[in-house]
Amino acid sequence: MTFEELKPFIVPGLPHYLALSGQVFAIGILIALAKRNAIAVLMGVELMLNATNLAFLAFARFVPNAADTPALAGHVFVVFILTVAAAEAAVALAMAVLVYRRRETVDLDRLNLLRW
Amino acid sequence: MIPEIAVWSIYFVPVSAFLLNVLLFRGSTVAGRVTIAAISYAWGMSLWALQSALAMGGESVGFEPHTWLEFGELVVEFGVHLDGLSAMMLVVVTSVSLLVQIYSTAYMHGDTGYARYYAYMALFTSAMLGLVLASSILQLFIHWELVGLASYLLIGFWFDRPAAAAAAKKAFIVTRFGDFGFMLAVIAIWANTEGHFDIAHINEMAEHGELAASALTGITLGIFMGAMGKSAQFPLHIWLPDAMEGPTPVSALIHAATMVVAGVYLLARMFPTFHSAPEGVSTFIAYTGAFTAIFAASMGLVMTDVKRVLAYSTVSQLGYMVMALGLGGYVAATFHLFTHAFFKAMLFLGSGSVNHATNTFDMRLMGGLRKSMPITFWTFLIGSFSLAGWWPLSGFWSKDEILLDAWHEDKFLWVVGTLVAFMTAFYMFRAVFLTFFGEYKGGAEPEHGASHSTGHHGPHESPPSMAYPLIILAVPSIIIGWFTVGGFGDFVQGALPLDLRHHPEPEPLVVVASLAAAIGGTGLAAAIYLGGTPSPARLLAMFRPVHGVIANKYYMDVIAEDGIIRTGLHRGLGRGLQLFDTWVVDGAVNGVAFAARMAGEGLRRTIFGQPQAYTSAFLMGTITIVGAILVLGGSALEALQSLRP
Repeated sequence: MTFEELKPFIVPGLPHYLALSGQVFAIGILIALAKRNAIAVLMGVELMLNATNLAFLAFARFVPNAADTPALAGHVFVVFILTVAAAEAAVALAMAVLVYRRRETVDLDRLNLLRW
Repeated sequence: MIPEIAVWSIYFVPVSAFLLNVLLFRGSTVAGRVTIAAISYAWGMSLWALQSALAMGGESVGFEPHTWLEFGELVVEFGVHLDGLSAMMLVVVTSVSLLVQIYSTAYMHGDTGYARYYAYMALFTSAMLGLVLASSILQLFIHWELVGLASYLLIGFWFDRPAAAAAAKKAFIVTRFGDFGFMLAVIAIWANTEGHFDIAHINEMAEHGELAASALTGITLGIFMGAMGKSAQFPLHIWLPDAMEGPTPVSALIHAATMVVAGVYLLARMFPTFHSAPEGVSTFIAYTGAFTAIFAASMGLVMTDVKRVLAYSTVSQLGYMVMALGLGGYVAATFHLFTHAFFKAMLFLGSGSVNHATNTFDMRLMGGLRKSMPITFWTFLIGSFSLAGWWPLSGFWSKDEILLDAWHEDKFLWVVGTLVAFMTAFYMFRAVFLTFFGEYKGGAEPEHGASHSTGHHGPHESPPSMAYPLIILAVPSIIIGWFTVGGFGDFVQGALPLDLRHHPEPEPLVVVASLAAAIGGTGLAAAIYLGGTPSPARLLAMFRPVHGVIANKYYMDVIAEDGIIRTGLHRGLGRGLQLFDTWVVDGAVNGVAFAARMAGEGLRRTIFGQPQAYTSAFLMGTITIVGAILVLGGSALEALQSLRP
């Protein structure tokens, strides 16, 4: 078999990246929904953000650029998401620290003061 | 010919006097002079207006109205309407008002409310002049309410006396019943005449048959209801006797000479409209007037308070005028209005003069005043002769005109009218004999303030500023009856279209009967109260049950206050409305609020403070939608897109 014939099996293409992205996103959302620990939920959210990043990069790499979209549009999105994710992590972790100082727990089931 | 601006100034100069008195001269005795000056001016201008109207033969001088308000289709025009009728009223109002103001300088001297009194008097006079001059029914209605307000303020002038405060309230509320009808009539006029408020125009439309009979009936009955309130016709007469709680000059001006005849004036102003209305309306008006006349006269027979006698006499005479208008006697009614204003104002001022000397209005405490108060006695006597209808005083002529109309139109009402004339003569001379003849019975102690401090020296004549107006008013009371010979009828009929003018044929029997009634009533009063045969005490014993009913005013006040107001309106209608308000109106509002609260109560259970659960629901929703798109293809996507606004 030539390399060209083997290429679809060895070199990952768009479907592979999207499948990976979907799996990571699913893991992330499951963590975010199922964990009681606020820190763990934040980690799940980070996974979801990075799964999206992966999908963006994959599309940027494999899908031909449309005429009216600027070059590197997908990459730019990723840079923005990374920035926002960093800021979000900083704020959310600071909140977690403050909540812990006040309540001595970060168990989300017990942080239910905003219900009726 | 008088220019329009001068006619307007008749109205606006007293208005300015009111404003000056309210804004600048509070608590100052200057207020009296301001009001008197303004009314003197209005009086002079009124004479000029009269001269102009005379030059026109009583026809409208024809000033164009001015646009006052414009709301889309609704155009409200104000103007002055000068013709025989309004010129006559102008002279009556300003002359009586001027004399009353002069009289009041002495009567109200030293009263703490002196400036307030003159401010109100200026307000009243200007409103009354505005009413007389009004060219549109809306303008008339506004001033109609303003004179009602002034009347309220002046009846309750001594508002620290509970009786005065209650009387003021009563007058205001009772007349409001009538005014409500008037207001409905104004609205009906607006709806039926395509927005014309002009009185002359309404009269023209009614005459040319441009108004439906049903609309005319409604309009005329509504207007008559207003007149019933203001002119104290049964059953809305109950406020007028109580209005005597006000200062006596107020009674003379407002509740005898001017405001209470506003109803008669209104009916006369709208005479062509009433004439075109179905027959039943006029009959109703005539019988209401006749009943009021005899009903009030019967109460006048037994009152012991001289002012109340005069008050019931006023109600009775107003009934006379209304009866005349119902019978088509336009000239008779306006002529009686004209003569009555002078002699009744004089009688009231005379009773005030008596009160000034004796501190009471109770005739049982008076007597023998003819020697100590000659001017008051003679003028009061002239007024009584005039009111009783003795030839050749003014009351004879005007009463005769009314009875003549009644003779030609309805013999039964003529009998009633003649009977009332007899009763009038009796109660007036009863008052004269009780007050001025016999022995002086001591009067009463002074009630309020410095003005009445004559108790120790016995009664004596009032000061010149009170006596001269009496003498001046005596002159028209004697002579103006002869105006009927001099063409008074032609003059006021100038305001009417040609086909409505008429002169009833003279009838000797009517004259003889009315003179006999006057002389008979006077003679009976003389026999009882001068001669003592039969003695008043024996008569009282004989008629005790009847006397009780009449002296209690036929229990009309009880019926009105306990029956209608307390039971009917307060307990019945008021309670019913309150229940409706509590259960239906409030119930609907509270029900909506309750439903919203219960919905919120249920829905908030779904918000239990678990963001992860919300997110799970969100995720499942997303999966469902995406799954649906995958399974169903493009159609699901289109369905989703159609949901977008």
